[in-house]
Amino acid sequence: MHYVRLLTPRRRAAWALMVLLIVGSGGTAVSQQGEAAKRTPPQEEMSHQQHMMDGMAPTGDALAWRMPPMDSNMPMMPGLEAATPSVNPFIPAHGVDLTDFPVARPGELMDLADGDEIELTASIVRREISGREYLMFGYNGQYPGPLLRAPTGATVTVLFRNEIPMPTTVHWHGLRLDNRFDGVADVTQAPVLTGQTFRYEVYFADAGVFWYHPHVREDIQQDLGLYGNLLAVSADPDYYGPVHREEFLILDDILIDEHGIIPWGEEEPTHSLMGRFGNVMLVNGSTDYSLEVARGAVVRFYLTNVANSRTFNVTFGGAPIKVVASDLGKFEHEEWVTSVPIAPAERYVVEVRFGEPGDVPIENTVQAINHFRGEFYAHVDHLGMVHVADAGAEPDLSAAFATLRENRDVQADIESFRPHFSRSPDYELELSLEVGELPLPIILSMEFERGLYSPPMEWNDTMPMMNWLATGNEIRWILRDRATGHENMDIEWTFQVGDVVKIRIFNDPEPLHPMNHPIHIHGQRYLVLEMDGVPNPNLVWKDTTIVPVASTMDLLVDVTNPGDWMLHCHIAEHLHAGMMLAFRVDG
Amino acid sequence: MGSPRPRHLVAGPLLVMALATILGSTMLLPGAGWARPLLVAPGVCSARWLGEPAAPPAYYAIELVSTRRVPGARAASGVGNVSFARSPFGIAVAPTGEYVYNVDLQLQGLNAQSRGVYIAWLTTAALDQVKRLGRLDAAGAIRGQTTWNKFLVLVTLEPDDEARPRWSGPIVTRGMSRSGRMHTMAGHGPFQLQPCTTYGY
Repeated sequence: MHYVRLLTPRRRAAWALMVLLIVGSGGTAVSQQGEAAKRTPPQEEMSHQQHMMDGMAPTGDALAWRMPPMDSNMPMMPGLEAATPSVNPFIPAHGVDLTDFPVARPGELMDLADGDEIELTASIVRREISGREYLMFGYNGQYPGPLLRAPTGATVTVLFRNEIPMPTTVHWHGLRLDNRFDGVADVTQAPVLTGQTFRYEVYFADAGVFWYHPHVREDIQQDLGLYGNLLAVSADPDYYGPVHREEFLILDDILIDEHGIIPWGEEEPTHSLMGRFGNVMLVNGSTDYSLEVARGAVVRFYLTNVANSRTFNVTFGGAPIKVVASDLGKFEHEEWVTSVPIAPAERYVVEVRFGEPGDVPIENTVQAINHFRGEFYAHVDHLGMVHVADAGAEPDLSAAFATLRENRDVQADIESFRPHFSRSPDYELELSLEVGELPLPIILSMEFERGLYSPPMEWNDTMPMMNWLATGNEIRWILRDRATGHENMDIEWTFQVGDVVKIRIFNDPEPLHPMNHPIHIHGQRYLVLEMDGVPNPNLVWKDTTIVPVASTMDLLVDVTNPGDWMLHCHIAEHLHAGMMLAFRVDG
Repeated sequence: MGSPRPRHLVAGPLLVMALATILGSTMLLPGAGWARPLLVAPGVCSARWLGEPAAPPAYYAIELVSTRRVPGARAASGVGNVSFARSPFGIAVAPTGEYVYNVDLQLQGLNAQSRGVYIAWLTTAALDQVKRLGRLDAAGAIRGQTTWNKFLVLVTLEPDDEARPRWSGPIVTRGMSRSGRMHTMAGHGPFQLQPCTTYGY
């Protein structure tokens, strides 16, 4: 990779001349749409007339590169009207007849017991999104994949078969299972080629909600629908509080325009700066999730974010929300919250009481940034609707819902780790970025912003042109071990089973385009002890947590599971742009 | 080009003038290009490493600068540390999407005043909303919380500790959230030929 020598006077002059020519010829780069919109409907996003992109007008071929949809109030960068990514466009199974493939059906529940054996097949399926059919991927022909529910302590054999036209694997995200079955291509197993099979032994160690997905080109395969939930059920019938029903909400987004799904990069992912944000929101693979409940019903929602990059801030129309658990089990105590920020690959378990009849929207409510205008603006995505009936729910659970439970079992489990809380970190990771040869207007824009403000979180893709053009060829995301200076897969950490390891992570705000990173550790569990020097008074075992820009986070890892494991950013495009390391645990 | 200028933009330059009045002349420089970004002070973004306690992000810290208008406080200075309020999610976010921030002020160089007390305030960039944080303690510190996207931090000399909706006394120190530095790209970088005044400021 050739790293850019920023803004030499010669390049500056060349670029300025280019802009003069563009503007002087009557072109303009700036939309006058002005007002910061609350929500730009997808159909408005899909036209690029105001972006002056005649040079790359879509040909009607879904496989052709064309600029992804963007808010109409965002201007096109001058000089980039005909720019395309440095990789080839790629859509799996492009050009084949839709009708050759089965219509996918909604995800089904598979109740499993210790020793059970099931089949899981990844294949091409036909899916309808917003009235249009697409060829996508599915596990067992379903969207999402089947919900695998098993008691804690159970081991289930999964006979996996790959029928998609790409190599793949299955990673059992969050499960502390045998390393041989962790599903990381070229680390724990060879990729499963098309037509091949692999036998996984899936061990449900901890009571919690988990998920499974490929660990090969996640940016494509996961985006196309290869994901499903796992629920490990505690033997304690009182593990959670009483509810009227349970719902699984898998949050996702997908990037579509009037010609179809925007292609992915063939050799490397596109969108390597901020990750690939979609413009169509999906809950359980659908744009019209809805739920009917009785008045006063208490619903336990298991939330999983499977999006490539988007962090959601989920609201339930003002209904009271209690957060009870996250990745690997319950919090030390339950808490009232007003929304649920959930980063890619995280899970949260919340209980919501719907006390009044009527419609309660489930929404993603964020403050996005219009970088051109230098403004924040409210952005709301509709995720679903809860229809609350007049008839009251039975039994009345209002008193139980009003009580915040102390989870003594969790507190007791964590107690033995407290002596480690105050000691110095054993390892330190710095999160950083190197930017290679991108078009000069993009570099100029990034340089301009760096001097001003980088937000702690990127809630949506407010720089779609810049982001789309940045591929794994130009971007290298970095995990840097401060002690050795080693980066990414050159880092060599070795632990022993029984170690308790404190890792400090600092998300450096100084690179050209810093971003939040959901950091995932395979095969172990960890506590987030503190962020920015503030101790966490309500701990929960995690496998993925979001590290905002400029923040410092201390993790305490309970090393219990031998083998070769990964630590990486779970933004799919960041992972593929290098942001991963492997560590060994000797047993 | 050529569409009517949105009405809400008309007030933009006025707000800039108001901001400039409050902030003094060091942050916004009217003239060619209108706004000039502050440079990041060297080293402000360093992490806290081995043996050092972690701390609020230096990157988002607010430098509190004396207006030099108040006798006994002309040498005042300080910092406003901005960090996420406690949340089970790590990041603290309001249901409307704004960050929920703790703002911890620590000032020095403030002499005791016989004619009043030092009160800290937060206000939006447009000055249309004001939040009284309260009286600085004996060590010159106070904590507040905000969900505003962009905000100013002011310490004023008030005649007493009485709760008022906004300040009445002279401004002793002022500072701006890091997010307040963000402004239109018009006139800058790849958009340097665009007139920034069209977009407010």
